[in-house]
Amino acid sequence: MMGFVGVLLFHQSLKTVIPMAESRLGHPHLGLGVGLRSAHYSHILEHQPDVDWFEIISENYMDSGGRPRYVLEQIANRYPIVMHGVSLSIGSTDPLNIDYLDKLKALANVVNARWISDHVCWTGVAGRNGHDLLPIPLNEESLQHTVRRINIVQDHLERPLVLENPSSYVTFADSTMEEWEFISHMADETNCGLLLDVNNVYVSSVNHDFDAEHYIRSIPWDRVVQFHLAGHTNCRTHLIDTHDGEVIDPVWQLYRLAHELTGGVSTLLEWDASIPPFPVLHAEVLKAQKYIDGSQSVDSAAVPESNEPSPNSEAVPHPAVYVSVEAE
Amino acid sequence: MSQPKHSLDQIQRWMFHAIVHPAGVNAGIESPESQSQIPVTPQTVEAVVSRSKALTSIERLNIYSNAYLARLTECLQAEYPALVHALGKELFDQFAIGYLQKYPSTSYTLSDLGKDFPKYLQETRPDSETSDAQIDWPDFLIDLAILERNYCEIFDGPGSENQAILQPDDFVTLSPNAWANSRLISVPCLRVLQLRFPVHEYASAVRRGEEPPVPNADPTFLAVTRRQYVVRRETLSKTQFQLLNEIINGSTIGAAIKSVAGQTEMGLDHLAQSLRHWFRIWCQAGYFQSIEPI
Repeated sequence: MMGFVGVLLFHQSLKTVIPMAESRLGHPHLGLGVGLRSAHYSHILEHQPDVDWFEIISENYMDSGGRPRYVLEQIANRYPIVMHGVSLSIGSTDPLNIDYLDKLKALANVVNARWISDHVCWTGVAGRNGHDLLPIPLNEESLQHTVRRINIVQDHLERPLVLENPSSYVTFADSTMEEWEFISHMADETNCGLLLDVNNVYVSSVNHDFDAEHYIRSIPWDRVVQFHLAGHTNCRTHLIDTHDGEVIDPVWQLYRLAHELTGGVSTLLEWDASIPPFPVLHAEVLKAQKYIDGSQSVDSAAVPESNEPSPNSEAVPHPAVYVSVEAE
Repeated sequence: MSQPKHSLDQIQRWMFHAIVHPAGVNAGIESPESQSQIPVTPQTVEAVVSRSKALTSIERLNIYSNAYLARLTECLQAEYPALVHALGKELFDQFAIGYLQKYPSTSYTLSDLGKDFPKYLQETRPDSETSDAQIDWPDFLIDLAILERNYCEIFDGPGSENQAILQPDDFVTLSPNAWANSRLISVPCLRVLQLRFPVHEYASAVRRGEEPPVPNADPTFLAVTRRQYVVRRETLSKTQFQLLNEIINGSTIGAAIKSVAGQTEMGLDHLAQSLRHWFRIWCQAGYFQSIEPI
């Protein structure tokens, strides 16, 4: 009989022999992409930059009959598109919104979305939406609840869902497992993919006093379809996932580890506040190549965690995604 | 493995009411809505939310509480930039917080977040129950909100960019009788607005980065539509507004003209002479997608 340690070792050995074609749930490695934001529409259409792929916020386009949708369809003709949602609310106890799922599926077909992702979170309850990515208590009840709903969503969408570890600011007394355990069980039981947000791991590790490297070593690497990178805000006592700046060096070091463990997957940079010109955004994600190649180490070019962080009461976690109107 | 003390549903309902309370997390925890789920106090909240090495449970919940109002007021500011300019950011945020209390989001999309803001301003207008209330500053704000909400819906709603548009020459061959008995089908992005202030000029000036003064009250009639994915507005006379409004609402051309003729202060000869010119201008502006005989 194989003991607990034996099972773990067997599981680890399986990971090492899975052929690359079966990694990432069979999804392609798209390369280095950036999140599509309305501030960059004109630049992208005019200059057609040499970006590997774009990720869109699904909710900004699924109901659009205006310029956002028009621009997206043009971009989808030239670049691979991945859909990333913020309102699935997979962990909520409210019923799943079937109309929302129908629209998600329809948009995925129109733009030939390579995959559809959202977050391991809930966004509201009792019919209300807080438009935030709220953490789930991590225990057997919430795991089975989430697993049931992922299976329903995957059946509806007729494709595997890809779910992201959120950044979070509270933990619950009723949690009985670590986040990496929850996510591993969730992925194993549903066969869903994982979007590993490396910055979120780092942010949560500081906020919840755990070892970020241990987290990344503990998740099922063969199920990781995509990485997220982003900047955050240091508020002395905690970090906030603001998506408003450069990726700092400790996050890049975690990214390098994640790359080594997974063998490399599609990588995307998110930048949602204080959005810079497109070339700056693009240059930031291209830094990933140096970490992939192993040529970038902690040096003068790297951005460290601020040594003298200042409290920032204005820091707001993403997502605050709203497309501004163009009018005379 | 210890059993959770609270169900997932209890925790979510408790936490949601705790973090969306306008007076902060402590008030949220003590609200009837949270207490009915998990009866903890700010002093005993660690029974639900753990503390970290650096932050107490309340401080951790405060991050979500602060973010809730900051994020959603930021979205409302983006949807109502001219209203923010008119009110100032601080006062606008006070209205926004009140609005979010009365009309919390029930939609998956932030595009719906501000849809009831003009209604909220109308409902909370000072002296709104006084029938002979003067048209003044609150009405300017309400009209501005109505305009900006319409801009938002027209910008991202269905349009006519990739569809055939009715051209002036498309109906010159119709007999007067056939013309009168036909319906003009407007493009889905066309709306007409009746306002008490020329808020369109104020809103455009704000978008240009100017510092416009608050205009004097002046009855204003607008056609708002979208061409090449940009929201456009054109001023109308009162009679033009009435005619277009009838047409958009499904009247035949003849019935619309008859209705307007009974209301207008224009002489009927002048009206008759103007009609051909108006319909030509409106066709050129892309207001109609087809004409349908009945």
